[in-house]
Amino acid sequence: MKKYAYFPGCSLEKMALSYHKSSLETTKALGVELEELDDWNCCGATTYFHLDEILANTLVARNLAIAEKEGLDFVAPCSACYKNAYFTNTYMKEDEDLAEHINFALEADDLQLEGNMTVHHLIDIFANEIGADGIKEKVSVPLEGLRIAPYYGCQIVRPRKNGEEVEAPEFFEEILTALGAEAVDYTNKTRCCGGSLLLTNRKAALDMIRILLYDAVQSGTDVIATACPLCQVNLEAYQTQVNEEFGTDFSVPVLYFTQLVGLALGIAPKKLGIGMELVSTLPVLSQFIAKEAR
Amino acid sequence: MADTITFSQEISNLMYAAHGSPLNNCIQCGTCSGTCPAVEFMDQTPRRLIGMINADLKEDVLDANTSWVCASCYHCTVRCPAKIDIAGAMYAVKRYSIWNKTYSDDLVGPVFSETFMKTIVRSGRSYEPILAPTYIFGFGAKEFFQEVQGATKMMLKGRIPVLPSKIKRLKNFQSMIKHIIPMGEEE
Amino acid sequence: MDPRKRILIIDDDPDYVDGMKAILEKADYEVEAAYNPKDGFKALESKPYDLLLLDIMMGRGAEGVMVARKINKDPELRKIPVLIITGIREQMAFLFPGQPVHPRFLPTDELLEKPVDPNLLLEKVSALLKMAEEKEA
Repeated sequence: MKKYAYFPGCSLEKMALSYHKSSLETTKALGVELEELDDWNCCGATTYFHLDEILANTLVARNLAIAEKEGLDFVAPCSACYKNAYFTNTYMKEDEDLAEHINFALEADDLQLEGNMTVHHLIDIFANEIGADGIKEKVSVPLEGLRIAPYYGCQIVRPRKNGEEVEAPEFFEEILTALGAEAVDYTNKTRCCGGSLLLTNRKAALDMIRILLYDAVQSGTDVIATACPLCQVNLEAYQTQVNEEFGTDFSVPVLYFTQLVGLALGIAPKKLGIGMELVSTLPVLSQFIAKEAR
Repeated sequence: MADTITFSQEISNLMYAAHGSPLNNCIQCGTCSGTCPAVEFMDQTPRRLIGMINADLKEDVLDANTSWVCASCYHCTVRCPAKIDIAGAMYAVKRYSIWNKTYSDDLVGPVFSETFMKTIVRSGRSYEPILAPTYIFGFGAKEFFQEVQGATKMMLKGRIPVLPSKIKRLKNFQSMIKHIIPMGEEE
Repeated sequence: MDPRKRILIIDDDPDYVDGMKAILEKADYEVEAAYNPKDGFKALESKPYDLLLLDIMMGRGAEGVMVARKINKDPELRKIPVLIITGIREQMAFLFPGQPVHPRFLPTDELLEKPVDPNLLLEKVSALLKMAEEKEA
């Protein structure tokens, strides 16, 4: 069983608890072990970098160093955490002076970072470590007839990390098809959800959310699947406000991809945090959930 | 050694790859502006802003809300044919305006960033309810009500933390920060 | 009489550099400037300087600290006296309100905070140069 150092990030402690639960349940069922990092700290999200990039890299490096101490590769379920971890790990390898300086700071917590581990987004573990075929083998409740829009968002694929496909990635679709579901093809699957603009420039963010919801719904989506807590909250929790602002009537459920994987694997909805969402998923999911578990 | 430097060089000096993707490689093709999902809400498009930086129009650049409207989605960065890290340049402009205190008071972004950072230095983790006051008082009555309503729904679903969490080795963590930013009382 | 003393300024703020340069040149020092840490370090390695004036907040963040530590590790460069000239308390005031810059992790000879009084600057510069000369002798 391959084991990873798992960095949940601040959002998964509460706001995205269902992502946390479903990540642990599904990886366990698929033969991957996620060991939560001991005493991890906030990675700085997207806001540190305005102020001090070196401090931002140091905060991230502490988490990476804790993983390295355990001899494990690093995995983050949040796209912003993942992007920060990936680039800090890369800069530490590329820039000797930066690495020396950050390691000097890490001594304060008896840590050191060589940068020998690899950094992954959680969806990468599903797409590449387990693979679509590995998932398919374990599916007991195929999500037949369910039309799911894979929403990549931005920071999983951008900025380009390793020569990967940034314009038209397909790995999310492959996971959804492995579940027996239909992956909805829509234009804006990698367009930004607005991220933290929702707090700093609400007008812009609500409009960005509206465009995504419109595109997904127009393309016949039953449920949108995300791989980032910020995307999930923006697309789901702000539907009411989009409706009030633009006179629309969106009511489309938004789930984490791990919740959908879990359903297809026959895991009880409660264990996957299903029921914590603001837009009810029952109308579209009830056929896949045993009566007594609803 | 040059006698003095241009504003474009000042901004380039703030970027990680200071010598990798100089802004003056910009060919003004507009791919960034065409790609940007937030462009409609910017005073100046990304293409224009880069043009203005290269033309040394410092005051106009700092007056524009462009960098603060950027959502850091890097769509422009991956598409730029001149290989300029445009989202990185937006961070550089933000950093410039925070360090030099040139941003305008009606922007929520800078205060939000500063509060976010303060929370983390204090506890090692971020905590949504502490952040709310940085932006919510800037809202109009309708938005304020919507936000509170939304938060209440989240709370009922158990998705908002009641207490902030703290890391265990907080003292070491704070000392680590002092190694990088040499400030604070002697220990 | 000694040849003119050569001073290097590493500071990202061109206005500040201009100001300090004017003050120092008037006092008959030879002054050169680098506007980012990378160019600054290259200059230090390319020829001998008698004194370094170093800013803290540059480039990605508090890179001046990185530069000071790197100089301190080099057996040759560490002989150059370093005078930190910084506005960090203003720039990071939101994070550590009212708190001092402490030198524990910052190898340096003297520290001045911006805005710098021209007379004080000249005083510190000449004191540091004198100290270095005495050390040499």
